[in-house]
Amino acid sequence: MDILMVLFTLFAGITLSAQSAVNGTFSKGAGTIETALLTFLTGSIFLFIIILFFGEGDLSGIMNAPNWQLSGVFMGVFYLSFTIVAIPRIGVIATNLTTIVGQLVIGLIIDHFGWFGGIQIDLDGPRVLALAFMALALYFIYKGNKKTQTEAVS
Amino acid sequence: MRYFSYIFALLAGAALSFESALYGDLGKSIGELETTFYNFAVGSLILGLIWLFFGKGKLSYTMEAPKWSLIGGILGVVYLLSIVISVPFVGVGITMVAVIIGQIVMSMIIEHFGWLGSAASRINKEKVFAVLSMIIALILINQ
Repeated sequence: MDILMVLFTLFAGITLSAQSAVNGTFSKGAGTIETALLTFLTGSIFLFIIILFFGEGDLSGIMNAPNWQLSGVFMGVFYLSFTIVAIPRIGVIATNLTTIVGQLVIGLIIDHFGWFGGIQIDLDGPRVLALAFMALALYFIYKGNKKTQTEAVS
Repeated sequence: MRYFSYIFALLAGAALSFESALYGDLGKSIGELETTFYNFAVGSLILGLIWLFFGKGKLSYTMEAPKWSLIGGILGVVYLLSIVISVPFVGVGITMVAVIIGQIVMSMIIEHFGWLGSAASRINKEKVFAVLSMIIALILINQ
């Protein structure tokens, strides 16, 4: 069962990279803001139908939730818009890999200080080493991308 | 402009981390699906306003575009649903590692073959090294 679930989660990563590629393509015709708007609108409609049938939570609880929790929505909008800007310019791998690095670095910082009511996890030796390997990954992806671009030109 | 795109991508990831930290408690109090719906619905409103005042593109392109290029929103929801379903079974750590590996490997395949309308760009040694470095970083974080 567990290995099945891990495969299922791999599939989640696949849909995310497919989304960024699809949106990058659509934005060439429609524009960045328009692509983000369409993604959010169709996502809302699809989710609304799913909640109607399978929702077990309490949507009206939104009204009582603290404002700082609700501000997550601006982050969601930033994320999608920035990805759409980057994809046509630096490609699918560079965008997704760089996004993941940004995500992990901030994640490590949030963990270290225990912000937003999460558990606190120290930035220990292995985690600092992980930061170094992420910097290395960024260096390689930048270099690799530059190489394919010069090849394409020549 | 190329440097800017890398910085934009870094900021996008940072935003994603803040988003999940901010929504962590909300998900527990009103439900994961409901939180995601809140995010998409209010995000649509915010983007609708931004589009009204600053939109320079062509929303009507939606009607002309090939239908497969319209599935971005649905893919985003499928992604979130898969995560919500798998976390209780395998935990957050393994879920995140599997998601990221799935994402990077699929990105390589998409870009190498130029699928989904993206510009084809061959895999080279540097890109493979980049992916390996990421996997080492993930193992270090999750041990």
